[in-house]
Amino acid sequence: MKRTLSFLLTLLVTAFAFAATYTVDNLPIPYLQDRTQYVSNPDNLLSQTTVDSLNLWLGQMEREHGVQTVLAVVERIEGGETYDFCMALGRKYGIGRKEQNSGLIILLSTGDRAYTILTGRGLEGTLPDAICKRIENYQMLPALRDGNWDEAMLNAVRAITKYVDGDDSLVGSSDFDDDDTGALIGFLVCMLLGLGIIAFAIWLDQRKKSYCPSCKQYKMKKISGYTTTNRRLGLRTHHDTYRCSNCYFTKELHWDEGINTGNMGGAAGGALGGSFFGRGGGSFGGSFGGGSFGGGGASGRF
Amino acid sequence: MKTIKSILLALVATLGLTSCTYNKLVEQEEIVAQKWADVQTQYQRRADLIPNLVNTVKGYAAHESETLQAVVEARTKATQITVDPENLTPEKLAEYQAAQGEVSQALGRLLAITENYPDLKANEQFSELQAQLEGTENRIAESRRIFNEAVQTYNTSVRKFPNNIWAMIFGFEKKTPFAAEAGAEKAPEVKF
Repeated sequence: MKRTLSFLLTLLVTAFAFAATYTVDNLPIPYLQDRTQYVSNPDNLLSQTTVDSLNLWLGQMEREHGVQTVLAVVERIEGGETYDFCMALGRKYGIGRKEQNSGLIILLSTGDRAYTILTGRGLEGTLPDAICKRIENYQMLPALRDGNWDEAMLNAVRAITKYVDGDDSLVGSSDFDDDDTGALIGFLVCMLLGLGIIAFAIWLDQRKKSYCPSCKQYKMKKISGYTTTNRRLGLRTHHDTYRCSNCYFTKELHWDEGINTGNMGGAAGGALGGSFFGRGGGSFGGSFGGGSFGGGGASGRF
Repeated sequence: MKTIKSILLALVATLGLTSCTYNKLVEQEEIVAQKWADVQTQYQRRADLIPNLVNTVKGYAAHESETLQAVVEARTKATQITVDPENLTPEKLAEYQAAQGEVSQALGRLLAITENYPDLKANEQFSELQAQLEGTENRIAESRRIFNEAVQTYNTSVRKFPNNIWAMIFGFEKKTPFAAEAGAEKAPEVKF
């Protein structure tokens, strides 16, 4: 379902922006809508399998080491300078956690035949420029020369993960896992509260109906009832007879109901259920932490 | 009685404003100093890379000694000039920038001749050194940009009314940002 949706979405985007030249402002950042999506692949240069693998690894890197990544593979960028583009991107979104400035941007522009790995200030120790260059030279370049973008990106991220895993000073964001469940718990609590209020209202209504005005006890019980329908007004009127089990006092209660309320209730229930499942199945949008980039990393052309 | 009260109130308000302005100016001046330190750190980082680079190139292109010598000399000259943020005068900044500009130019020439040595270009250590150098040039550019931003913020504060009055009284002066130089300060072209 999600995949079909994202497929349709990409199709739509592709239709509108086929082989577009991307600027910092119009490059889609899927992470903002769904924080399990680190890869921006607007021109579909990477296969879905690759994107899924990359997202998985990059997600693990963020959970365990707090390294927040944006990986983009596009046909062409404005200006053709991947380094400048990455810096502008980093400045715009503040990629990476602020406390440790652990942002990482990997950009490949196939039409410009250029690429950059840009490291946030806090990553410069873990991934020095020379190491980035080495990763590019050995892991990416051979595949790039063959036009195998999938392989190049998979190799690069695999290698980067190794270096990041080896650095214990990078700590994962502790709130990363809790956030998701926290929001879900909050939602459930709200829902239970809402149901509680409804139940209480129903109970109050029943109690009112069971109040006996004669002996002042809540002992009235419904013994019979019938309904009349007024189609012109769209009303169904209930005529219920209540009798007190204590003093045998009887009273009649008349109450109106819209003819369509039954259906309305169903519709509302459906909508509620739908939104609940939509929430449960979907993901939450991510936000960038405000990390800064000092110009570390390495670029190259092929 | 009422006039005294209002005068007192005005005085207190002005004092409050003054201390606020003063603190803000001090804060912004501190930021400028800090950003200047960052700039110098990045230039120092480049200077630290040079001996290694020169040695690597020497192994492959020993007879380019003139170009190599020029780099070493420019580096030596540039490292002798450090500027305290307190006396960051336009003259001092220009001097600093000129010395660093010479290093950039010498480096540019050195990297240009390495194009003629395929063995050197294929050398892994050289490739990584080049990457480090390029990264450092990027860092220099970025730190200069940030420094200029800090200077601009500070200068705007100093010149705005009524801050300018307090700036004059307390002796906060306008600071000079880096000037973009045509060609001289251009980062060496690093091609792969």
